[in-house]
Amino acid sequence: MMKERKTVIECRNVSKTFYSMAGDNLVVDNLNFNVYENEFVVLFGPGQCGKSTILNLIAGLEKPTGGEIIVSGEKVTGPSPKRGMVYQTTNLFMWYTVMQNVEFGPKMQGVPKKVRRERAQKYIDLVGLKGFEKHFPVKLSGGMQQRVGIARAYANEPELICMDEPFGHLDAQTRYLMEEEVERISNSDRRTVVFVTNNAEEAIYLADRIILLHNCPTSVHKEYIVDLPRPRDYTSPDFLALREQITAEMDNTL
Amino acid sequence: MKAKFNTKGFVNSLFFSLIGIVAVLILWTLGVNYTTVGLLLPTPMEVLERAIYTMSNPIGRTNTLLMHLAVSLRRVLVGFTLSALCGVILGIAMGRFKMVEAIFKPLFELVRPIPSVAWIPLAIVWFGIGETAKIYIIFMAGFVNITVNTYAGAKQVDENMLGVARMLGANELQAFFHVVIPSCVPYIFAGMQVGLSTCWMAVLAAEMVSSTEGIGWTITAGQENGDMTQIFVGIIAIAIVGLLLAVLMRWAERVLCSWRVRGK
Repeated sequence: MMKERKTVIECRNVSKTFYSMAGDNLVVDNLNFNVYENEFVVLFGPGQCGKSTILNLIAGLEKPTGGEIIVSGEKVTGPSPKRGMVYQTTNLFMWYTVMQNVEFGPKMQGVPKKVRRERAQKYIDLVGLKGFEKHFPVKLSGGMQQRVGIARAYANEPELICMDEPFGHLDAQTRYLMEEEVERISNSDRRTVVFVTNNAEEAIYLADRIILLHNCPTSVHKEYIVDLPRPRDYTSPDFLALREQITAEMDNTL
Repeated sequence: MKAKFNTKGFVNSLFFSLIGIVAVLILWTLGVNYTTVGLLLPTPMEVLERAIYTMSNPIGRTNTLLMHLAVSLRRVLVGFTLSALCGVILGIAMGRFKMVEAIFKPLFELVRPIPSVAWIPLAIVWFGIGETAKIYIIFMAGFVNITVNTYAGAKQVDENMLGVARMLGANELQAFFHVVIPSCVPYIFAGMQVGLSTCWMAVLAAEMVSSTEGIGWTITAGQENGDMTQIFVGIIAIAIVGLLLAVLMRWAERVLCSWRVRGK
């Protein structure tokens, strides 16, 4: 069964150096990994290790200085609506309502109004924001804003969704809630997700597979397949054992 | 979205602002009646009576008070609309395109400190004493403020948000209309608020130099006839219309920029 899975992302010997007057900064060094269709992969690593840079490379917002990234058989050369992004700072269009934010992607691609409204409504309902369609983001809490960000990424129906520490700015309580939400959403609308975090608990709760990254310059340190039954229990012995193991291993990367 | 109207707060602030106005009116009346100031000033009641009288009787040849105001307002609206159009276009172009900025910014910086009344003699020489000269003066007054603010707005557009729009499939033109323009709107409004006030001031200055009608002209005419009451009617009419214009702009901003307002 494993061998039949379609590969969505292939990172082949990817390197990224930022050149500046102060000196060159090698951030990603010979990175290799694959992500398969409908897989929920967590890129997990210490802070400032270059996780976000990897997402930007996959998204096409940055160009690799070595190697190549292939998404669904095509080499990544720039941003594309086939790859959705959920940002840490939400990056919502503050001047548009929840509905206008969520339907933005389909609208830009000329999807007729009736179709895109229906599609946007489906994802607004899915993230639990029914009744808030006409609200402006400024009136929503941080957690609700991030739900809009998630709905906006899903409504474009991309092949792949990148989430860049989406809950990094939220308080602990909201964060748990949002992790459950993401679990629920990805159960009812299965997509390939690459999720970046530096929180071990979040990684184990959500991931099908965790890719543990080296500290900067980063590359794959180790992979864990998480096969605990879902929804996962933060306090189950298996969960805690894995958490212990991964946290200990992360210290080795520093 | 609909802000709940705070009746108590509104009544309170209205009450206190009325205290100030009423106090000035009382002092004014007392001063005129009991001191030598009366030789130079009409009483508030006289001003009010004259204002009501000139609503239906002409000041000068044919125009009543309201018609003079309408003449001035029409000039302001034409000049202001032109300056808003040009200011927004130039401001956004300078803020978004390096080439336009390089060419126009130095020119604009030279024109910017020139007070609009300094254009009056030039405008009369260039365009005569007709409408064109006045509209030109009003245009210059509004144009500078609106351009400066729009330019500042176009400079602060979040480049991240342009990336977000592109990730969602927007092309350059779509990103411009859905990201650049909306993020400039609050700045444009700030510029238009100041611009409209300066336009209103400029039309009066222009009318006081060369005209045969308009609210600014009624003041000059009052001065020439030694009619203090008419001068006061003119000044107070200017103040009230200026205030109404400012309120109108603030209301328009609240409606168009409601996305920036926090809370229920």
